[in-house]
Amino acid sequence: MKKTFLLLCFLFIMAGCQDRIELEQQSYVIAIGIDSTDDKGTYEFTYQMANPEVGSAAGQGGSEEPATETVTVQGSDILSATFTANSFVSKKLTLDHTKVIVVSEETARSDDFIRVIQSASRTPQVRRQVQMIVSKEKASDFINNNKPLLETRPHKYYQTMLTRAIETGIVPEATLHRFFQITEGDADLFLGIYATTEKSDQKSASEGAEDKYIAGEIPQIGGSPTQFMGSAVFKEGKMIDIITGEETRLAHALDPTLRMEGYLATVPDPMMPDYRVSYEYSQAEMPKIDIHYHKDKPTTINVEIEFQIEVIAIPSLVEYTQNVAYRKKLEKEVVTRLEQNTKALIEKSQKEYRSDPFYWSLYVRKYFKDIPSYEKADWHKKIYPNAEINVTYTLDKLEFGKMINDSKLDEVRD
Amino acid sequence: MRKMKGSQKQNKNKETIHYSLSANIEEMKQSFSYGLNKDFAMRTLKAKYNEKKACLFYYSSIVNGDTITTHIIKPLLEQTGEKLSNIVTIENVEEVTDFETAIQNINSGKVILFIEQDSTAYSMDAADFQHRTVTKSENERFIKGPQDAFTESLNTNISLIRKQLHNHQLVNESIQVGKRSKNEVNIIYVKDLVNNDILSNIKKRLDDIDVDSIRNIELLEQYLEERPYSLIPTILYTEKPDKATAFLEDGYVILLMNTSSACLIMPVTFWSFFHSPEDRYLRFLYGNFSRAIRLLCFYLTSMISATFVAIANFHSEMIPPDLLLAITASRERIPFPLIFEILIMEIAFELIREAGIRIPNPLGPTIGIVGALILGQAAVEANIISPIIVIIAALSGLSSFAIADLSMNFAVRILRFIFILAAASYGMLALTGAFLIIFMYAASIKSFGVPFFSPMSPEFVSTKDTIFRKILKKEIYRPGYLDLKDNRKRSE
Repeated sequence: MKKTFLLLCFLFIMAGCQDRIELEQQSYVIAIGIDSTDDKGTYEFTYQMANPEVGSAAGQGGSEEPATETVTVQGSDILSATFTANSFVSKKLTLDHTKVIVVSEETARSDDFIRVIQSASRTPQVRRQVQMIVSKEKASDFINNNKPLLETRPHKYYQTMLTRAIETGIVPEATLHRFFQITEGDADLFLGIYATTEKSDQKSASEGAEDKYIAGEIPQIGGSPTQFMGSAVFKEGKMIDIITGEETRLAHALDPTLRMEGYLATVPDPMMPDYRVSYEYSQAEMPKIDIHYHKDKPTTINVEIEFQIEVIAIPSLVEYTQNVAYRKKLEKEVVTRLEQNTKALIEKSQKEYRSDPFYWSLYVRKYFKDIPSYEKADWHKKIYPNAEINVTYTLDKLEFGKMINDSKLDEVRD
Repeated sequence: MRKMKGSQKQNKNKETIHYSLSANIEEMKQSFSYGLNKDFAMRTLKAKYNEKKACLFYYSSIVNGDTITTHIIKPLLEQTGEKLSNIVTIENVEEVTDFETAIQNINSGKVILFIEQDSTAYSMDAADFQHRTVTKSENERFIKGPQDAFTESLNTNISLIRKQLHNHQLVNESIQVGKRSKNEVNIIYVKDLVNNDILSNIKKRLDDIDVDSIRNIELLEQYLEERPYSLIPTILYTEKPDKATAFLEDGYVILLMNTSSACLIMPVTFWSFFHSPEDRYLRFLYGNFSRAIRLLCFYLTSMISATFVAIANFHSEMIPPDLLLAITASRERIPFPLIFEILIMEIAFELIREAGIRIPNPLGPTIGIVGALILGQAAVEANIISPIIVIIAALSGLSSFAIADLSMNFAVRILRFIFILAAASYGMLALTGAFLIIFMYAASIKSFGVPFFSPMSPEFVSTKDTIFRKILKKEIYRPGYLDLKDNRKRSE
């Protein structure tokens, strides 16, 4: 009896410990890059690993070492390439803590992209919350060129950078989970984060008006060379276009599944068009989406958006606070601009993409009693491109910050 | 065979007292090895009231000499009267007819008087056992609440209880245990509350004890319990009279002995170990706050090391990256696996704890310094332990002190090692499994017929004083699992 018990104890202990791995025997991959090669089915995988000793008080003498180690190997999928990488990386590569997957635009636009990204969903190591970044250049170049100045530890950089960019709405929340969800749903467009470390033709601010950029176009002096702006549009698992930061923000406003905190924007001053009025846009309520599906005639989609505005700067010094007529004009200007831009984006999506980046298919699904009938109705080809879409913006609240009157120019300069 | 021997022995001791004084004296001298036994005293005198020779026997070390002189010897020599009971001025006089009782009485500090031509002996209580005075409780400390503690004297202890519970139904019954040294165990209960089944169960277990001697309550505890090998205690031990009284009021039974500065409370539930009387002395919110902290301590002390081992060795994806990298960085130069680190620290903590208890008082402060140095700075600087392990071990060690009851404290500390080993073998899976098995085992335990987790599970009518307590005015019922004679504390 005693012997059996002892044996059983040993059996448990010995069978168990094999999965055990010490923390310091692993290398934590923070970013994975995917590039295509000339050979079909072979890809270049870039792994950026964090050096735990940098930025930690406990690591003695590690301060000389760089914060990251970046390696590129060829392989056929994300996981098997990590083992190839072990021929020159000393520890086991662990993908548990991966924050981003960077895909080069070239790879993302290829038909085979869905094949290589599939392996990320199969392995339990890669989290579904990993953000998908599409880089203009090769992914390996993006990772190598990306040299954050203050957040030298890579996980911290991606964490803070993406959280803030997503909060402001210039890039979308682009988790792998959402990618697979939308791709498998066979409706709607997936928006990936667009970023680059390369400068392209730069637009000046008047042309761009804060957010009409895509990454690489923003004039910048100093700081890290990496820019995150705009989104890569994916249809059926393949990238088809890029939209600007402004359009991404509109998509945020129209899509109840995406969260945005609010952003600062400007409109040309309706009274003195040389100047621009700055305001903070925020949306307290989710957009109301009302879809009426008709089998034989175009579906109607009515979207109502309630928003609030806090005016933060009036460089023209026009007295919008006191004059009701002026104020009405300003309100109208803001609403019209929003509606115009939205209309343009919707038109582009209906005609060019023939699908929506707003995840609206969720609201039409209730009209179908099973999946085959829904698939037969075909959101991509029939429902969305022909739909009649009305978007109304309602200004719920207009505030003028903590000061009512600006300086009176004629009194100041007498 | 054994039974026969026992009955023979009894026959011999049941010998009745002789008619002749000299025969009695001879018998007593022989029984107590008079002359060899230095503190055994004999005093012969001539009683004035009946003009007969008399003889007193007692242990001079356990009786009060003054009492004997003024209340027994002096009246016998000087007073005249009809009966002995009218002559001696001592509190109580009992008649004894056999030697066994006489011997027992002398052992428990009484004076035996033999009179010429009388086949009855008289036993008079003049006991004066030495004991400490009532002092402040050392091991169970309160900030708010009575500070006195039991001491090694039965009378004092009962006095401390009666002081708090003025109730004529409070009964102090005594039972003798032990074959060679017959020690008294006092069973205290409130007669119109207590469940007779539980009471007779306890009495039966006391009667069933077949052993030479039981010196004190700490030894008695182990003779009484149902499962001596069990990890979980089933009898509560306390040195606080107010705690004991609170349990008496709820219909529990208490055992006291003359030799222990504590009492045993039974039956118990998990909550008896978890609660502290101070929870009730503090106001509702404050008391419950301290309960919440204590519950957290229960979790921390039993689980935190094991959880850390499981997560770090098997589920590193659960650690936030900043912490993960910090731990990894500090572990880069550590030569041992994580499980070794944890075990080294936990064992070091237990070492200090054990040494701290045994160390002579003047050396006390040194242990703190040496301990802190070994555990902290030095071990980390020598790259034997990573700093986070020091935090974990310190946390689990510190939390263990919040479990005031010594038995439960040991149980949880041993549990901690079981959990660590489980976590090291299969990670969270084994940790959950081990916890489940231990929990199921604990739920199956019964103390004198009362399930360990009642009144929570199984549910009983009670004050609902489990993890948190209600305000005192809302406590209506006494514990239902005890099945008391009067189940209500107050009428609505």
